[in-house]
Order: sequence, then structure tokens, then C-alpha cells
Amino acid sequence: MKLNKFLSIALAAVLLAACTHLTVPDNAKQEARLPRIYPDYTEVTIPCNLCPINFAVQEGASEVVAKFTCPDGGEYIYGEEQNVLIDEVEWLHILKASKGESFQVEVFAKTGDEWKSFKPFNVYVAEDSIDSYISYRVIQPSYVAYEMLSINQRNLTNFDEKEIYNNMAVSTEEVGQCINCHSYKNFKTDNMLFHMRQGLGGTMMVVNGELRKIDLKTDSTISAGVYPAWHPTKNFIAFSTNKTGQSFHTKDLNKIEVQDSESDLILYDVDKNEVSIVSNMPDELEVFPTWSPDGKKLYFCSAHFEYKNDSVSKETEMIQRYQEVKYNLYSLDFNPDTKTFSHLDTLYNAAAIDSIGKSVTLPRVSPDGRYLLFAQAEFGCFHVWHSDADIYMMDLQTREVQNLKDVNSPRSESYPTWSSNGRWVMVATRRDDGNYTRPYIAYFDKQGKTHKAFEVPQKDPNFYTFFLRSFNRPEFMIEPVTVTPQEFTKKAKEDAVKAKFAK
Amino acid sequence: MAAAFLLLPVMNGDYLYTIQDNSVFIKGRTFMVDMVSHYGGWVTWLSCYLTQFFYHPWLGSTLIILLWLALHLLTSWLFNLKGKWSLIAFILPLLLMFNLLDYGYGIYYAKTPGFAFQPTLLCGFVIAGASLVKGFLRLLKVHWADHPITSGLLCALFFALSFTVGTWKLDNHRSAIITTLTDKNFKHEMKMYRALDDFDFEAVLNEMTPSTTAQPHNHTTAPPTNLMVLYKNIALMHTGRITDMFKTDNCGINPYKQDTTGIHISQLGAPLIYYQFGQINYSYRWAMENSVVYGQSFRNLKMMARCAIFNQEFDVAMKYLALLKHSIYYRKWALEREAWMTNSTLFIQHKEFQTISPLLHEDINQLDNDEGRCEKYLLDHFSDLRRPTSSLLEDVILCLSLWTEDGYAFCIHFYEYVQNHPNETIPPLYQQGAILYGNQPDAPITTTGFKFDATVSEQYNRFAEQYNQLSSQNLSPEEMAARMKPTFGDTYWWYYYFYTDFTIY
Repeated sequence: MKLNKFLSIALAAVLLAACTHLTVPDNAKQEARLPRIYPDYTEVTIPCNLCPINFAVQEGASEVVAKFTCPDGGEYIYGEEQNVLIDEVEWLHILKASKGESFQVEVFAKTGDEWKSFKPFNVYVAEDSIDSYISYRVIQPSYVAYEMLSINQRNLTNFDEKEIYNNMAVSTEEVGQCINCHSYKNFKTDNMLFHMRQGLGGTMMVVNGELRKIDLKTDSTISAGVYPAWHPTKNFIAFSTNKTGQSFHTKDLNKIEVQDSESDLILYDVDKNEVSIVSNMPDELEVFPTWSPDGKKLYFCSAHFEYKNDSVSKETEMIQRYQEVKYNLYSLDFNPDTKTFSHLDTLYNAAAIDSIGKSVTLPRVSPDGRYLLFAQAEFGCFHVWHSDADIYMMDLQTREVQNLKDVNSPRSESYPTWSSNGRWVMVATRRDDGNYTRPYIAYFDKQGKTHKAFEVPQKDPNFYTFFLRSFNRPEFMIEPVTVTPQEFTKKAKEDAVKAKFAK
Repeated sequence: MAAAFLLLPVMNGDYLYTIQDNSVFIKGRTFMVDMVSHYGGWVTWLSCYLTQFFYHPWLGSTLIILLWLALHLLTSWLFNLKGKWSLIAFILPLLLMFNLLDYGYGIYYAKTPGFAFQPTLLCGFVIAGASLVKGFLRLLKVHWADHPITSGLLCALFFALSFTVGTWKLDNHRSAIITTLTDKNFKHEMKMYRALDDFDFEAVLNEMTPSTTAQPHNHTTAPPTNLMVLYKNIALMHTGRITDMFKTDNCGINPYKQDTTGIHISQLGAPLIYYQFGQINYSYRWAMENSVVYGQSFRNLKMMARCAIFNQEFDVAMKYLALLKHSIYYRKWALEREAWMTNSTLFIQHKEFQTISPLLHEDINQLDNDEGRCEKYLLDHFSDLRRPTSSLLEDVILCLSLWTEDGYAFCIHFYEYVQNHPNETIPPLYQQGAILYGNQPDAPITTTGFKFDATVSEQYNRFAEQYNQLSSQNLSPEEMAARMKPTFGDTYWWYYYFYTDFTIY
């Protein structure tokens, strides 16, 4: 009897707590400014299938409340200490009711006994959806050392995140394993790859769902494949090959320079397991290949650099003259049937900009072939470490270049990429704190205009603050990777198949 | 228990504090989720929680000793060990204590977060789980509940289950209980690091005192390690006594010559050493690299926050301080630094800024690499530095070029020094250096035209005379060093000629 009584009281208490609903304070003092919220979702445009945009109110308040008002008059109120955590079911109603329009958010914050209300802001919900998945490498922003690395996939329509591969599955105390450069063919995952370096090294490829481990280093190339680009229609992958080094600034806040003392471009024929040279011009450092959507052009970056000092190594001279290395943007015509390249075109002579020149990296063409995104900074090829790096866009019809100011910040932006429908642009940026790379997404409308970028939402809005790892190389995918980490691990332990070199 | 208290907080308090300093526990969901998402994460998370109490070694020790006591009682009850047989139940706690003290320098290299408590908690899971089931069986009056084989089987069962909550895969480390218990330098290094971290330079120098009577070739006590010498010289540098470098013991040794690959200053103290030398980027770099390879720690978070503040990278500094504010023992430290960012006057007036800023060479940015050898890099970097921007920097480049025995660099700095101080007495150490290098074959300097003290010149002549005399007697360098030490042991010349043991690790 006593137990029954206790359970009844407990159940009543739980129901009472569940019935307690938040209300908007009616005597709040009005502030004429927007609230300080993190992540900043004020006046952003979000996709119609995005997960809830939970945020923290950074007003030093003891309690916060946010009222969401939809175009159909629906009102939703959330608040949990300093955070606004949105019910995932109600969020679907908010998105549906606001699609093609916007909902308004009014934030209230309690400091001491006083409530303040802030200027409401709008969140625009685009008609356009976003690819359901993104993937990125989770890594601490270290310099030489690495330990635990993983490539993860995140479902953007909810908060689910899973590991695609974790290097600790095969790393040992003696030999670690670096993983990088995950890449997908046409945003799908039945053809994908990533590299494994050092321990059990090789390029892990999924080809039409079949797992392969390939050693792309040949006697005739300077390294294994590095930066990849899957051909959109044929079974080819363009890679750069690079001899990469690192050195450290004693005072400069960029802290590190990652430089290629040599680099070329190669083409890997997946079916024949053959590597051939695309470009290995003398005094040129070719890198970052990317295909046009029709597969008839290969865009890439290249820096003209002549070594002048025979008394020191190439690496040393590169360190001494690091500010002289400026990458331009080029294209080569490609005949997919004959596998031949022709007609080198200088799209953008960045080295000639102003008097000091600029350096262009990481080009990516929009799915409709009209626009090309790239990162630009003063010099060098590793713009994630260059705080002046910004994202620019070239209209390939007019060759006009514009700074994507809605996407950029005073800190480093790099690794731009398009969603499969071309309506969303994602970048890796260090705007939050200057050191940890975060994925930001911006709407790219039909008029070719970008809108204010927003940080990929997390269930816990303070997640990014407390998470001491970077999200590198964010890529869109229309479907999840279905090969399991265990399958990748099993394959990783096998010997890599050596690629052949074709003259 | 008394013995455990004696061995842990009384004799090895600094060891336990350092374990805590190299560990981390942050209140909140992100840290917890990050921990528990890995294999064996729950026990790791709990271990890290408990490890933070070694901040007060007596408190952390009390907790772990109570856990060992509970293990003893449960083991006794589980296996019906009574009277003198209950002593057997002490074996497990003794092994756990041995394991805790067995790391030595391994505490800087342990990759298992919360390694100090992990084995104890896992053993606790096994013994407590088995005891719980045994108690339940007894309640059900199962007649074989009290049989030792039942207890053994239950332990085996919970041992198997323990792999679901924790990992028994602990760090491979060389057995080093002897180092932990007997190596005085190991303890001095930990004390000196902590004092240096507090900018308490007198405490650093006091810690050096016990071995200052010892010199190579005359070992009444163990000579200091290179790291101790480095710490000592930093303290001298920041107390205006850097020219006493060779008067105090400057002849360091490598703690483990036979195992040079095992221990590196990069992991033992590089972030703090670089910071104390005003090399903010390298300090940050090594705090980051060490936290990547050996796990995040309070020590590294503090260093990264300090560097970010110094570089005015306030957003990332706030990130590290936000984490430290969510700890029990570093909240106050973080709040103090947080205030610096809103009121820069507080920072500029603080001892930390006042101490470091004279070492910053505003004009110079170099692109280089320390190859993981902190001490070598600092010696080369400062020896090669030109046009010092403060009197401290002026002294540092002179002293470090002497330390690294770079006669050419010293002579350049010496000429500049004399030109910049035309009417001042040249410090005796610099006179010693100039006279030494001026008397070398192919001397990069001439000794004429400088105002050397007659006493210094005379002392050098006597040194040279005795050196030549002993050399003609075919004495070994060790014997010569011992004979000349009482008279010349505090001179640069003695260091230059007889200290040949300098190794970088």
C-alpha cells in the first residue's frame, strides 16, 4: 500500500512538472538591440529540412525565454536556463509553417529580478532543402602531432552523428595513422575515398560499393595521391601529388606555414588501376584539382616558383621565400573518351592582383557549372591557417570575381563547397575563436546572391565552446556512408594494391 | 593505511599533484559525452573526476585509500577471509598502490585519461559486483552462495563484464617505482615546475640548492638534471641574476642517458619554459601538441589560455578559460585571467606580464622549427638574436651564447654590449667569456681595448697556468676538474673546459 501511495505521488509530481509551461514575461523592459545569441541565427536563411537551431543567450541572464512566432500565427516558447532548446516535433511545424517565409524570434532574459526583451529577429526558411548529410574530419588543430582522428558523418535534419572511420582502430603505440581527404563522387557514397598515411597507409576507396585499398605512389610520381576530385561521369579521379612540409612562426599569429616544395597533378583510372601525369610543369606547383559538372574541364591552382638558391634544400628555400608563393587559377580541357587534356587557360591571375598579389586555393564549381568558389589569401596554399583567407566566387560566364562578404569573417575561411542542388554553400571557418574550424552554411539564392552564414546547429548550443577539436574539410552528401567502420578497419589491415604508372 | 598515507601524500605529494596537473575534468555535458563515447568511457570519466582531487594530495589520497580499504573489506567478505587470512585481501590494494607509484616519468606520457584511479575503479567494479550477487544469493538462501568457488566464478563473471564499462588496456610504461620513490631530481623537477608556474622564482632556486654543492666529477649527491638547470636559469633570469648562471650549478645531466628516446623536455615542461622565455607561439604549440598526443590536461589548458591572452587572441583564450571555469580547482585562476581581458591594466600590471614582456623582441618573426628540442632551440635562438630590445634580452643573449659555447655569437653580442654601455663596468661573467674566446686560436675577438678588471685577468692567468700544469701531469679531465674546482668552480672557464656532458633530450 505504501509503495502504491509513493508511486501515485511521484506520478502526480511528474505530470505536474510536465504540465508546467513557459510563459512570456509581460513586464519586460524593452531593449532596442538584438540579443547576443550563440550560435548567431539572427536574420539567417535556413533550409526547410534543417534540424532545430538551438542557441544560447549570452546576456549574463539567470533565465531566458524565446518566443517563436510563425506566419500562420502559431507561437512556441522555449527556455532552459540560458539556453533555447527547441522541441524537435514542434520544430517541424515551425519549418512547415514558415517555408518560403520567415518566423520571428523574440528573446527575453532575466537579470536579477528584471526581465528584458530584445529586438525580435527573423529566421528565413528557404523553399530549398539541403543535402541530408555532411561529413568532416574531427581533429585537434595541432601542428605536427596527431593522435585520435575520425571522419564523421552528421545528419543535418537531426543531430545524429556517426563515425565513418576512426584511426584509433588500427593505430598502435609505435605507429599512428593519419587519415584525410575524404571525397565523394557526385555527392553519393557508393564511390568515395579517403587517405590513410603512415601506419597501414594507402588510399581507401569505395568503388560502386566495393572496398579497395590502393597505393597510389609510383616511381614516376612525387608522392601518393593527395587532394582528390572524382570525375563526375567516368571512373577517373584527379589527384595532386605533393611534397609537403611545415614550419612555425615565432611571433606571427598564423603560427604555422604548410608548404609544398613540389607538387603535380595526376589522373587515376579506377578501372585500370593506372596513374598518369596530368601536369608536372617545371617551376609550377600544381594542386587542388576539381572537375566541372560535365567532366570536360579540370580546374586547378598552380604557383609559379623558381628555386634560385642551390646552396640550400628546396624545403629551406621555400621556407625562406614563403610569402612569394602565390597560386593562380587555371583550367584544362578534358576529353573523357580519349582521356586527354588540352588548352591550358588562366582563369584568374591572382598573383597579379594589386602590387603584392594574392593566392587562390581550393576551387569548387557549382553543380550547374556557372560559378566557382575558391579561398583567397595573401600567399601560400594552406589557407585554414591564414587568418586573412576569405571565400570568393567567380562567375564562369563573365569571369567576374566577388568577395562573398556574407560568408566571410575577419578570420580564416577555407574549404568552400556546394550542396548538390547548388543552393547552399558550406565553408570551414575559424570565425568563432580563430583557432578551431567550424562548419558554416550560407544560402545561395537563384539570383546568385549569398545570404548570412550560420553555424551547423548542435543539440547543445554550447557544444562548440567546449569542444576542443576542429571540423575539417566539410563535404555535403545526399546519403550516408553505409560501409561500416569495422569494414574499413578490416580493409585497412590488408596490404594496399599498388597502382601502375601509365606513360 | 598509515603506510599508504606516508607513501602517498607525505612522500609523494608532488607526484600526485603532477598526475592531477596532467589530467583534466570539466563539468558539463560536452566533456562527459566526449569521454563516454569512447570505449570504457564511463570509468575513464569517473577516474578523471576523482583524479582532480590530487590537487590536494591528501584529499585525493584519502579517496583512493578509502577505495582500497573498501576493496579489502569486500574481498575479505566475498572470500570469507577472517583473522590472519584477511591479510590476503590486502594484496589487491597493495598491487594497486604499487601500480599508482610505478609510473615515474611515465606520468608525463600516460595516454589513458584518469590512469591513477582506473585500475582501482575497475577492481572495485569486479569485487563490488561479485559481492552484490553473493549478497543476493544469500538472501535467497542459496546454499552454495558462501563457497569460495562461487565467489571466484562471480569475480570472473564481473571481470568479463568490466570490459563493457572500462578498459584494462592501461599505458605501457617502464616500471619506475624506484624513480618515483627515490629519485630526488624527479621530485625537484616537479616542485620547480610548480614554482615556476606560480612565478615563484625564489622557490625554484631554493629547490635547486640541495644539489648546488655537487658538480660533475665530484658527486657527493646526484647532479641536477638539464631540466633543473634550465628551470634554475629561468629563475635567475627573472630575478636579475642571470650572470650567476655559472656560479650556481650549471652542469646538468640527462636523467636517463641509457633511454634518451624516452624522456624529452618537450613533454616535461616545454610549454612553460618557452613561455618564460617569451616564446609564446612555441609555448602554445607544445601545449597543443602534448594535449593531442598525451591527452588534454589542466596544465596545457592553462598554458594555452596564457599564450592566447598574451597574443591578444581573446576569443580562444575565453574558450580555454570557460573550460577551466568548469573545473573545481582552476576556476579562480581562470576568473582572474578573464578579468585581464576586460581590463588590460590588470594584465599589464601583473607579475606575469611584467616578467615576460621584456623578453619579447617586437620586430622579429621567424619561420623555423625546434625539431622537438626545446633547450637547443632556445640556446640557438637567443644566441643568434641581434639588436636586443631590453636590457634583460641583452643579458639573455650574452649568457645563452656562453651557455651554448658559441664563441662567435658571444663576441658579436659582447662588442654590441660594450658599445651600448661605454662607461659601465663590464660584468665579470662577460669579461670571463671575452678573455676566454680572445685567447682561443683563431679568436673571434681581441682582448685589447676593453676595460677588464685586473682581478679577472689575473684569475684567468692563474686558471691557464694551473690547467697547463695539470695537463702536463697527464691527469684525466675528471681529475683536473676536481682539482681545479675549489678555486675555479664558479667561473665560466671551468664550465667551458670541464663540462662536456651536455646532452639535449
